Amino acid sequence: MPFNVSGILFLIALLGVWQLAMSAGIFTSTFLPEPREIGSSIVDLTESGEMTSNLWHTVYVTLIGWALAGLIGLAIGLLVGLSLEAWRYSMASLEFFRALPGIAFVPVAVLLFGFSVKMELIVVTYVSVWPVLVNAVHGVRQVTPLHNDVARMMGMGRLARIRRFVIPTMAPFVAVGLQISLALSLALALVAEMVGNPTGVGQALIVAQNTLHPEEMFAYVVVIGLVGVLLNWGFLKLLDHGFPGTMASERQPL
Amino acid sequence: MTVAADQAQPVGSPVFACDGLSIEFQTPAGPKRVLERVDLAVAAGEFVSIVGQSGTGKSTLLRVLGGLERAGDGSTVLHRGKPVSGPPDGVIMVFQDYRGSLLPWRTVEKNVVLGLEGKGSAAERKEKCQQALELVGLADRAKDHPWRLSGGMQQRVQIARALAVQPEVMLMDEPFGALDAMTKEQLQDELLTVHAATGATIVFVTHDIEEAIYLSDRVLVLADAPARVTTELAVDLPRPREQVSTKEMPEYLRLRQAAYSALRGPDHGDD
Repeated sequence: MPFNVSGILFLIALLGVWQLAMSAGIFTSTFLPEPREIGSSIVDLTESGEMTSNLWHTVYVTLIGWALAGLIGLAIGLLVGLSLEAWRYSMASLEFFRALPGIAFVPVAVLLFGFSVKMELIVVTYVSVWPVLVNAVHGVRQVTPLHNDVARMMGMGRLARIRRFVIPTMAPFVAVGLQISLALSLALALVAEMVGNPTGVGQALIVAQNTLHPEEMFAYVVVIGLVGVLLNWGFLKLLDHGFPGTMASERQPL
Repeated sequence: MTVAADQAQPVGSPVFACDGLSIEFQTPAGPKRVLERVDLAVAAGEFVSIVGQSGTGKSTLLRVLGGLERAGDGSTVLHRGKPVSGPPDGVIMVFQDYRGSLLPWRTVEKNVVLGLEGKGSAAERKEKCQQALELVGLADRAKDHPWRLSGGMQQRVQIARALAVQPEVMLMDEPFGALDAMTKEQLQDELLTVHAATGATIVFVTHDIEEAIYLSDRVLVLADAPARVTTELAVDLPRPREQVSTKEMPEYLRLRQAAYSALRGPDHGDD
């Protein structure tokens, strides 16, 4: 991923304007800190170790929940996509649960599983499963009739067809699903920490809000934003490195 | 009109034998009969073309031979004496849509090796793949992805993929229909070379009469609705064939006229 230099310069310029406006007294607010204050708050929180431990917890839950969601979504997606029976019986329920906003389950999960990491993981996994699952089902169905004919003429059995046709065909769709899920996992980890599990960046944000420390809130927001960007970047790197062919069909000129 | 006097009798045990082959498709307007009592026999090593206008059921006939489509009740379709109930061993199909038939996520050589996977040793697979690519002149593009190749090259890859499994029979469904005239002629000549080199039986579906005559030992004309083999032409042109001189032979011109008349009815004559 090449760095968008002009884009980054623009962002820095925006920060500069914000800082200048506040230093010059053109614009003041009790609860909107100066970029300078946010910066020093990030340094303070990092030095005290709070930032690192909160961040570590949130990222840990995000990644574990995301990985679980990926495995479960892929497995169910393959099953539903490949078996007409599974499709017939499950699609109505899948559509229902998918359409139901996952956040609605957060209070339910707190009640069921208590204020725990388990609750947080369940919420993250539950919500993140859907993009992978739905894209996997869709991906399986993208195997063309012509490819099926090719496989049949070569005398391939079911397993060979899944390995040589179904999985490569669905891979780009699953990759997109995983990318969306990663962002969702981070978001849901934060929500779960705000509501239920008293730790992590989500909880730290609530504490900073309650103790009227806007610069700390912004410090966490900035850092978690950067983490989100980094996770997405890392995922794309991993994809390109580990599965260089995954997007090959997409690079095909139309 | 029929050219009964020209009919060639295939020698040896037939690779394919169809007797009273009929096919019906279910349409919203009720069942539609596409093929009606088609009889045909294809001998080993023969190059047979099936011509007909679009929608006559040529491709359907080919798909029945390849076991991709089931023939209607009362039809007999035999491959080497056994009823066809799925793609028979040693029979491979080359499709018109080369782009859709290749696997875009695989390189050229990985596409060619597809039919060999799980069979033989890695060294054997590599060698067969290499040979097939050399036969179609694409050995130097082995590591490319198909979308980097022109249409003609992509079709060569598909042909190489078919050749790699060393098929007894190649069923070719309008393989050059989507190519420009020059590429088409090139590929026709390459196919003739491959046919001579491998001795494979080829059943070739096309709507191009000249192509059919140029390539084949025998041309079957499918016409009428539902379609049947109305005319059978034995092509007695010397091999190897050559794009210019073969097409200037009186026999070629006679066959061409006969085929056109068979397709359009006798009133049209030659064009």
